[in-house]
Amino acid sequence: MKILIRMIGIATTLFWIFLIVFFISAVYSAKDIGFDFGEPQVDLSPDNKILFSLPITIDNKGYYDVGSFNVTTEISDQEGFMITRASTFIPVIEKGRQIVATHKDTIDINALLQKSQDYLFKDTELEVRETVSIKLADVIPVQASTNLTLPWGAPLYNFTLGRSEYSRFNGTHVTATVPIDFENHASFDLAVIIRVYMYAGTNILVGEGQTTVETLQNTPYHGQMELDIPVDAIGESGHFEVYFFTTFFNFGPLVIPYG
Amino acid sequence: MAEEKRNSNDRLQEFALKILKATIKGVVFCGIYFLLSMFLAPVLEAVPNALQIIEIFVVVYVFLMIVGELTKGSIFHHFFNAAKALFSILYLALCLNGGIVGTTVQNASLVVDLRLFLVVAMLLGLLGFAKSVLQAINFLNEKTEHMRF
Repeated sequence: MKILIRMIGIATTLFWIFLIVFFISAVYSAKDIGFDFGEPQVDLSPDNKILFSLPITIDNKGYYDVGSFNVTTEISDQEGFMITRASTFIPVIEKGRQIVATHKDTIDINALLQKSQDYLFKDTELEVRETVSIKLADVIPVQASTNLTLPWGAPLYNFTLGRSEYSRFNGTHVTATVPIDFENHASFDLAVIIRVYMYAGTNILVGEGQTTVETLQNTPYHGQMELDIPVDAIGESGHFEVYFFTTFFNFGPLVIPYG
Repeated sequence: MAEEKRNSNDRLQEFALKILKATIKGVVFCGIYFLLSMFLAPVLEAVPNALQIIEIFVVVYVFLMIVGELTKGSIFHHFFNAAKALFSILYLALCLNGGIVGTTVQNASLVVDLRLFLVVAMLLGLLGFAKSVLQAINFLNEKTEHMRF
C-alpha cells in the first residue's frame, strides 16, 4: 500500500511540475511572437472584383511552434447582411521562423448592388469583423477579435443629370445637351460607360446617347452628353433611363424624371 | 517525573521540527510563486484580476499545506491533504470559467481556451485526492494494527 501511495505521489508531483513548467513557458513565449499587419491595398482581381490585400508578417521567436494561425475577415452592411468572408490559414509557424502571408478579401460590387443600389450613389459604412486565432505551443488556442468600421465611398456619389439645353440640329430634330455630375468617392479609379435613354410622355423613346467617363478616386466629374431628339419632344415631361458599364459592375436602369 | 519531562521535551522538539518543515515548505512554495509570477507578469497584466485570483489560490494552498504539515501524524493531516487537492480542482474550475477565459483589451476581445490544461490539472488534482484517501485508509489501518498488538 505504502509503495503504491508513494508511486502515486511521485507521479502526481512530476506531472504537476511538467504541466506548470510547460504552461508557463508556453504563455511566456507568447510575448516573443510578433505580428505585423502592413498597409492594406486595394486592387482589381482577375475576375474584376475589388481586391483588398493585407500583408501579415509573423515572427515566431518563442520557445514553441505556433499552430493553426488563422485570420478571418467578415464584411457586412449595417443591417448585418454579410457581403464577403475570407480566411487565411497557416498550419504551422516553426519556432525561430518568420512567415509573410497576404490576407486577401474580394468584394463583388455586382452582388452588392443586388442588395441595394445605394452603394453606387451614397457613401455608407461597412462593418468589418476581424478574427485572428493561433494555437500557442500547438495546444493552447487563443483567439482575438475586433469590430471595425470601414467607410464605403460611392463611385457615382450624388449622380445627377441636369436641366437639358437644346440647339437646332436639322428640321425635325434638335440636340439636347444633358449635364452629368457626380463624384467618385470609391477607393479605385473609375472608367465608366454611361448610356442614357430619353423617354418622353408615356414611355416613348425619343433619343439615346453614350459617353465614356474616367475619374480618379476622390475626384468630382462635371460633363455633358448630347442626344438628338425630335423637335416635338421639347417641353414634354418624361424620364431618363441611365445604364452604367464598368469592369467592376454593370448597373441599370437608373430612372431620373425630367420636365 | 523525569520520564514525563523527557516525553514533553520530545513532543516539543517534534512540534518545532514540524513548524520548521512547514515554514520551509511554505517559503519554497512562495518563492516559486514569486519567481513564476515575475515571468508571467507581462501576460497577467493584460488579464484583469488574474494576479488577485492566483494570490488567493496561493494563500489558501499554502495555508492548507502548513496546517497539513503541522497535523502530520494524525488523521487530520490526510484530511487537509484531501482538502488541498479538492480546493485545487474546484478553484481552478471556477476561476478558469470552465476553461474558456476571456478579456477585452481596448476594442479587441481576447479568448484563451484552457480546457485541455484544466482537464489535465483536474485529473492530477483527483489523483492527489485519491492519494490522500489511500493515505488516510493506510493510516487508520496501521493504527488499528498497532492498537491490536
